[in-house]
Amino acid sequence: MNEASKGVGSVVYEARGLKKNYDGGQVAALRGVDFDIREGEFVAIVGPSGCGKSTLLQMLGSLDKPSEGSLSYRGRLISDLEDPSDYRSAEIGFIFQSFHLLPTFTVSENVQIPMFETGLSRGEREVRAHELLESVGLAHRLKHFPSELSGGERQRVAIARSLANRPSVLLADEPTGNLDSENAAHVVELLLKLHRELGMTMVLVTHDLGIAALATRTIRMKDGRVVDETTPLTHAS
Amino acid sequence: MTFFTVVVRGLIRRPVRTGLTLLGISIGIGAVVTLVGMSWGYEKSIGKQLDVIGIDVVVSNMSGGLMPKVFDDTLQDKVAALPKVADTTTVLMLMLSIEDAPMMMVSGREWGGFTWEKLEVLEGRLPKDDKEFAVVLGKLAAEVLKKKVGDTVQIEADELPVVGIVDGHAVVENGAVILSLSVLQEISSNQGKVNFIDVRVPEGTSEKEVVELCETVNGMFPEGRAKLASEVVGTSQGYRLARAMSWSTSLLAIIVGVLGVMNTMLMTVFERTHEIGILLAVGWKRRRILYMVLCESALLGFLGGVTGVGLGALGLKILEYTPAIRGLLEPDLSPKLLLTSVAIAVVVGVVSGLYPGWRSSRLSPSRALNL
Ligand SMILES: Nc1ncnc2c1ncn2[C@@H]1O[C@H](COP(=O)(O)OP(=O)(O)OP(=O)(O)O)[C@@H](O)[C@H]1O
Ligand SMILES: [Mg+2]
Repeated sequence: MNEASKGVGSVVYEARGLKKNYDGGQVAALRGVDFDIREGEFVAIVGPSGCGKSTLLQMLGSLDKPSEGSLSYRGRLISDLEDPSDYRSAEIGFIFQSFHLLPTFTVSENVQIPMFETGLSRGEREVRAHELLESVGLAHRLKHFPSELSGGERQRVAIARSLANRPSVLLADEPTGNLDSENAAHVVELLLKLHRELGMTMVLVTHDLGIAALATRTIRMKDGRVVDETTPLTHAS
Repeated sequence: MTFFTVVVRGLIRRPVRTGLTLLGISIGIGAVVTLVGMSWGYEKSIGKQLDVIGIDVVVSNMSGGLMPKVFDDTLQDKVAALPKVADTTTVLMLMLSIEDAPMMMVSGREWGGFTWEKLEVLEGRLPKDDKEFAVVLGKLAAEVLKKKVGDTVQIEADELPVVGIVDGHAVVENGAVILSLSVLQEISSNQGKVNFIDVRVPEGTSEKEVVELCETVNGMFPEGRAKLASEVVGTSQGYRLARAMSWSTSLLAIIVGVLGVMNTMLMTVFERTHEIGILLAVGWKRRRILYMVLCESALLGFLGGVTGVGLGALGLKILEYTPAIRGLLEPDLSPKLLLTSVAIAVVVGVVSGLYPGWRSSRLSPSRALNL
């Protein structure tokens, strides 16, 4: 095969017959989804509004439980995890469309928040936060509050925060959805760099087909189902 | 940034609400300090009085209001005849409204008894004999009544000249109007009646022997009670009432405090649902979120407790100088009371944080985030 099967690594996520209902079964957000995501893949999830992309990402991040079917992370069922917060803390980083920064904490503090669940000392937390913020080009804004930053800057803080505990997987739900094209480009560039340089596994929900085209694989969804899996040409060459 | 920073940040984000809650707790704790400080102070003052005079056992009636009921002074001879009794003297103690003072201790003391011994004359003199129609004033009583030697004091229907001002070396002594027993018996129509027999035991008497003495007296005087001086205060009816009132008011203050803090913390938790969702999403354990809420409410309690202790101490100082109370007791401002009060406030904080904390830690992260 070609570069497309660059995801030669082991299986990170394995979903089988994954379903999610809301409101006591009235809303079927996921109607039976199957897929594998392998180590080092950069998977884009696309599809019309309401097709269940965010719902799927929440399952992957164990922010919510599937109604039916199985979802495992590196061979272990996520539903069997004793404490999903350990998994969220150590294994994954989350990036959201609306940033979800804590308004009463500075940029540096926001990045340190996830580190409380690790054994890092106060000094180590600070140093690490500053390194991460430097890597996203925000070393000069450490003491600012999120409300003092532009949208692009806020999302870069969120990216730094998602990396706080050195996760192996990044889950991003329309990270550029609230950004203008220039800032979006900057954020995408950062994500690509993380994928390339750290070999992080990435699952990114997006409406932007240009961004999807940068992924190693695209999962297309409709009405709570996966309708198509494509490998963009850029990677096939 | 430390975890403590996170906790503090949670409180100062709503300064007005935090401030009002703190005010609520501190008023509550202030009330606790004032009331309990008064009742402890009463206990301490009486204890000190007995100690200064050198009273080992007090015989009095079990029932009565603020002061025990009167009984025949013939009991004195029987008590005096018992073994292990070195000295006895009788007292008729009344709580009376005197002129502008609503409540004053009026102490009629058997002439020649040891209760006169420790009175140090500051001005004037003591009464000449048991028949002299005159009073001496403790120095605080003189201040409260605004009387000097040569003035008169009206007790019941009689005008008695003030012949001396004395220092009794205890607040309760200094707050009293002191006169000869037979004079007080006469003007209060209590001829032949007293309500206390104060007993001294010989030096070197063991506590066990004193207890035995008390039991013997109780056998002779069924409706009475002989008490070790150290136990006297706790069994006085008036004191028991005051203590019950101070604790029940304190309990009320504590309950109000708990509701106030709980309300604040619940509001905080509702308001911060979204942020708690973020914390869960970035991997915070539920336990840590519960702990954060508990620390916030404990900190609220602690800060409220510290300011409340300040308020209470101020309240006690004001009361100490209030004419109505001046000389009846010396408020207790012991470190024990202050520390207990702060500890109560912290417990109030933690208890009030339990339910809000539990609620916040049970939030579903996806629900919380989608708000
Ligand atoms: N908490 C919820 N309660 C009830 N229905 C929900 C809930 N969350 C999502 N849904 C429903 O589930 C379906 C899928 O929602 P989801 O958010 O996954 O869509 P999406 O693909 O992310 O859409 P968009 O592109 O607009 O973000 C929608 O019909 C939505 O209304
Ligand atoms: Mg969505």
